Amino acid sequence: MSAIQIADLSKSFPRKGHPPTVAVDRLSFTIPEGQIFGILGPNGAGKTTTIKMICGLIHPDNGEVRIGPYDLQTQRRQAMSLIGAVLEGTRNIYWRLSAWENLMYFARLKGVLARHAAARAKMLLGELGLWDRRKEAVRTYSRGMQQKVAIACALVADPQVVLLDEPTLGLDVQAARTVRKWVAQLSHEQGKTVVLTTHQLPMAQDLCDQIAIMREGKLLANEPTQKLLTLFDEEVYNIRLQGKLPEQAVSDLPGFSANYSDGQTVLTGPVRQGQDLYALLDRFRSAGLPLVSVTRERADLEGIFLKLMDQA
Amino acid sequence: MNSTFLLPVYNEMRKGLLLIWDYKFSMLMQIVTFGMIFLGISFMMGNGKLVPALIAPALVGYMIWFLATLAINDMSWNLQGEAQTGTLEQMFMGAASMSVIVLGRVLIRLAFSIVTVGTMSVIMVIMLDVPVTFPPSATVPLVITLAGLLGFGYLVAGATLVFKQIGTLASILTNMMLFLNGSLLPVDRMPDGMARFARLLPTTEGIIVMRQVMIDGLSLAQTWETGSLGALINHSLVFVALGLLGFRYCENLARRRGTLGQY
Repeated sequence: MSAIQIADLSKSFPRKGHPPTVAVDRLSFTIPEGQIFGILGPNGAGKTTTIKMICGLIHPDNGEVRIGPYDLQTQRRQAMSLIGAVLEGTRNIYWRLSAWENLMYFARLKGVLARHAAARAKMLLGELGLWDRRKEAVRTYSRGMQQKVAIACALVADPQVVLLDEPTLGLDVQAARTVRKWVAQLSHEQGKTVVLTTHQLPMAQDLCDQIAIMREGKLLANEPTQKLLTLFDEEVYNIRLQGKLPEQAVSDLPGFSANYSDGQTVLTGPVRQGQDLYALLDRFRSAGLPLVSVTRERADLEGIFLKLMDQA
Repeated sequence: MNSTFLLPVYNEMRKGLLLIWDYKFSMLMQIVTFGMIFLGISFMMGNGKLVPALIAPALVGYMIWFLATLAINDMSWNLQGEAQTGTLEQMFMGAASMSVIVLGRVLIRLAFSIVTVGTMSVIMVIMLDVPVTFPPSATVPLVITLAGLLGFGYLVAGATLVFKQIGTLASILTNMMLFLNGSLLPVDRMPDGMARFARLLPTTEGIIVMRQVMIDGLSLAQTWETGSLGALINHSLVFVALGLLGFRYCENLARRRGTLGQY
């Protein structure tokens, strides 16, 4: 069964004296259970609006959201019991309360009695390395620790789906790494479905099983991460030659760019078939430009993202 | 424990208590402020002297007004603060409806206010020898008045969800109430137009009945015969109904506009 199903979801916000801003435009996708699903896009792409519609915080103008078997509009309470969320740019928890008090509060908020949530809270705080500091106010923790407590609060009622909107925003490298590790564990070891929005594309590439890329409320791509990387893998090569290749020769190579420095020419461009590469290298050798090295550039999410943004 | 009503109400009350304890110094200052302002008002009313007979009706009115102020401010400033920190959106993702969560918030705030305002009032009564009693029957109009305040609290909370920057307006409203709800000047001494407006405010009818019971020594049956208890009940029922409907409407509007997390 799918963890989340979104069908034909649209949302626009009215603006005084201007046409309404279309935040999400007929969005449809399905997130299978146990996956880490990344939603990427530039600012204003509609990622946060989508997340908030999944959380039931914003009513869509059209469309349907299903969390597990439940329709969000008509079975809100049941749907909410399956969700935990950490939203972007805010604390999400009470900094004046201790980590333990926060966890107990958010467990009860989800309808779980404290005595039932205590074992899980203890396990979560233990994993965070915060058990000894559980009685201290969260405001005394580092920013990374605070974010981890926020994620723990989203998990304390043991939801099936965890929505993380920019979970590493504002964290230092070490704290961001810990959160990343934790997100991976959530899915791979605990079987949770994680929906993640981030601007950190290497993180999305590392963590996500499937990636949706949005722009201006529309879905530009929605593919398993590996497939997305393969689809855009154009076989781009870096060819380093000893000596300077004449400019005329460069312009005869469609799609190639050239840089000349330290007596070497570095050509970068697409070669569609392996045979073309050998023919090309023969041409350079005949022109008296010895080959120094050939490397193939792998497509990465950042390159794909930029390409999609340019195409859109 | 019922997960859609009792548990969320208890949860909010418990959290409220923890946060109040964390802000104990500012709460203490609030109580001191309550006393100091009232002393100042009492001196003004007595032309520089403390006249217990004049202070009595003012103290009853002032007590109710202070309860209203604390409850209304919590619904505006504190909800606004929670929107800012993201905890408000978390509440909307809870198992219970938001109106139940707000009930827990108002109840703990009112309970705390009753304890603090009550303590300060007792100190005033003893220190200034104010001729006020608190017979058990006074609990009835007090609870009905608080119910009306609860309804008004829902209205303010709903408005905060939609407009957010409602705190300043709420502060102006509560300060205006001190002069218009009969706390200092009884409604029957106000000009007609002002008296009609005063009777629309959430605490006015409560102050009238509380004074009849605590100062004039009327029984509940007698306040019913004068019509004041009936007016208070009607008034509170209207506020509760308006508050719940208004809150539900504002909650839906905020979800449609996407303003729940904005501040």
